Amino acid sequence: MEVRRSVSVLLCALTFFSLFLTPLASAAEPDIYEVLALATRYMHDGNLDKALELFQKIPPPGKGEDGGVFVRARMEASKIYFIRKEYADSARMCDEILAIFPDNLEAGNILSQVRAAQTPKWLRFLKDMKTYFPTLLKASGMTLVLVLITMLVSPVIGLFIALGRISRTGVLSSVFWFYIWIFRGTPLLLQLFFIYYGLPQLGLILKPFTAAILGLGLNYSAYLAEIIRGAIESIDAGQMESAKAIGMTYWQAMRRIIVPQTYKRLVPPVGNEFIALIKDTALVSTIAMVELMRAADQIFNATFNIFILIQAAFIYLLMTSIFTISFRKLEDRLGVYEAR
Amino acid sequence: MIEIRDAVKHYGNLVAVDHVNLKITKGEKIVIIGPSGSGKTTLLRMINFLETMDSGRILLEGTDAGYRRDRKGRLVLDRPEVICKLRSEIGMVFQHFHLFPHMTTLENVMEGPLTVKKKSRKDAKAISMDLLGKVGLLDKKDVYPAFLSGGQKQRVAIARALAMNPKIMLFDEPTSALDPELVGEVFNTIKDLAEEGMTMIIVTHQMGFAKELGDRVIFMDNGYFIFEGRPNEVFSDRMDNPRVKAFLAKVL
Repeated sequence: MEVRRSVSVLLCALTFFSLFLTPLASAAEPDIYEVLALATRYMHDGNLDKALELFQKIPPPGKGEDGGVFVRARMEASKIYFIRKEYADSARMCDEILAIFPDNLEAGNILSQVRAAQTPKWLRFLKDMKTYFPTLLKASGMTLVLVLITMLVSPVIGLFIALGRISRTGVLSSVFWFYIWIFRGTPLLLQLFFIYYGLPQLGLILKPFTAAILGLGLNYSAYLAEIIRGAIESIDAGQMESAKAIGMTYWQAMRRIIVPQTYKRLVPPVGNEFIALIKDTALVSTIAMVELMRAADQIFNATFNIFILIQAAFIYLLMTSIFTISFRKLEDRLGVYEAR
Repeated sequence: MIEIRDAVKHYGNLVAVDHVNLKITKGEKIVIIGPSGSGKTTLLRMINFLETMDSGRILLEGTDAGYRRDRKGRLVLDRPEVICKLRSEIGMVFQHFHLFPHMTTLENVMEGPLTVKKKSRKDAKAISMDLLGKVGLLDKKDVYPAFLSGGQKQRVAIARALAMNPKIMLFDEPTSALDPELVGEVFNTIKDLAEEGMTMIIVTHQMGFAKELGDRVIFMDNGYFIFEGRPNEVFSDRMDNPRVKAFLAKVL
C-alpha cells in the first residue's frame, strides 16, 4: 500500500514537472521567433543584407525541437541569395536544411533550380537536346510512316482519278471533278478537323492515325490526280494514234504507251508535292497524332529551349533533302531514253 | 480487197472528203498526190478508222466493216474490239514516225505482236529481229528512238507496222519530215516492200513514189479525185488537166 502511494506521488510529481518544464524550455529561447520576425521585416523593407544576417543567426534545432523556424529562416535566405544570383550561398542554405530534413521538398526544389541556374544556358540547352533527341527521332519515325503511306496510296488513287477525268464517261468525270474541287479548294487543316472531330458526330469515330492517313491521302490524291492528268494530256497525240494503228485498245495504249511516258515528266512536280507532304504532316499534330511537330511542340513547352525547335527543323530539312536528291536521281534514271 | 464507197467527211463547214469512191485490189500500189489540205491524209486515216466518216461505206472483202448504226440511225464506229481487230490488219506509217520514245528500237517493233497479238516474248522477238534485219537496222536494236536519224526512225516505224503482218500498208507522207539526203533509204525500204507484193496506199509529195511504185496515181484536191490513172498518164506531156498540170509544174 505504502509503495503504491509513493509511486503515484512520484508520477504526479513527474507529470507536474514535465508540464512545468516545457513552457520553461521554450521560454528559454524566445529570441528565435523575434529574430525571424525581425529578419522578415528587414526583408520586406528591402534591407536584404541585414535580413540575411539575421536569418542565418537562427541555429539548427536542438534535440526535440521541431525546427520549423530554422527551416523557414534558411529557406528565406536561400531565396534571397537566389534572387541575387548568389547561387553557391543559395545552395548552401538548402544544403543546411536538407542535412537535417533530407525529405524537405521545398528545399529540394530550390536546390534543383539553383543547380539549373548554375549551369550555363547553352549547356542546359545542349543537355536538353541530348535528352530529348531520341524522343524527336522516334516521332520523326511517325512522320516518315505518314509520308510513306501517303506516297504509296495517293499516286495510285491519283492515277485512277486522272484516267477517270480524261475518259469521256461524263458521270465519272464529273464525280472526280467534284472530288478534286473539294479537296484542292479547302485547307488540309479543315479536312483533318472534319475527319477527326467532325465525322464522330455523324457516328464515324476514327483513330488519329486512320484519320491522318485518310486526310493526307484524300488531299494528296486530288493534287496528284491533276498533275497526272496534265502529264497524260501533255503526251503527243500521235502516240495514242500510232498505238491504235497497230491495233491496241485505248486501255492497252494508256498502260503500255502513254502512262509510262509520263513517269519522267511526273517526277519534278510529284517530287515537289511529296516535299510539301513532309511538311504538311505537321498539321496532323492538331488531331492528336504524335509526330515530329507535336513532339517538338511538347518538348519546347516544357523546356522553352529554342534549340529543340531548331533540332526539329534540321530533321525536317534532312528528310526533305534526301527526298530532293532521290527525286533528282530518279528523274535522271527515267530519262535514259532521251537524247541529251 | 478494200473498197470505199461514197465516203464523206466534214470538219465544220469544210468538206475534207467529198463523196470519194476507191477500190483497191490485192497487191495494188496506189499513190495519192495533191496539194496540202486536199483531203488525202483524211482519206488514208479513214481507212484504218483514225478518222470516222460522216457517211459512206467501207467494205473489206466485200462486206461492210467498222461501222454500225446507233439507235437514232446515225453512222458510228463499231465496238472498240472490232475496230482494234480491223486496225491490227492494216499497217500505218506516219509522217512524224510516232515511235514509242520510251522503248528501244526492238521493243517498238515487238510491241504489237506482244501486246495486241499476245505472242510470247520469244516469238515476238524473232519476228522483230527478222524485220529489223529487213529494214537494215539490226545493229540499232537496243537504241532508243531519240538517238536515231529521221530515216532510221521511219524504217523502224515501217518494221513496227509490218510486225503485225498487215494485209495492207498505209503510208502518210512517209518522207515529208525527212532531210533530203535521208529520203532515199526510206524510199528503198518501201520499194522493197512493194516488190514483195504488199498492197499499199501512199500519200506523198514525193513524185518518185508515183513514178516508180504506183500502179495507179490519184490526184486529189478539195476532197475529191480530180484525176486517176497510170503513172505514165499522169506524168506524160499529154496531161491536159490544168490543175494537175499546175500542181506538177510546182513540185517537179
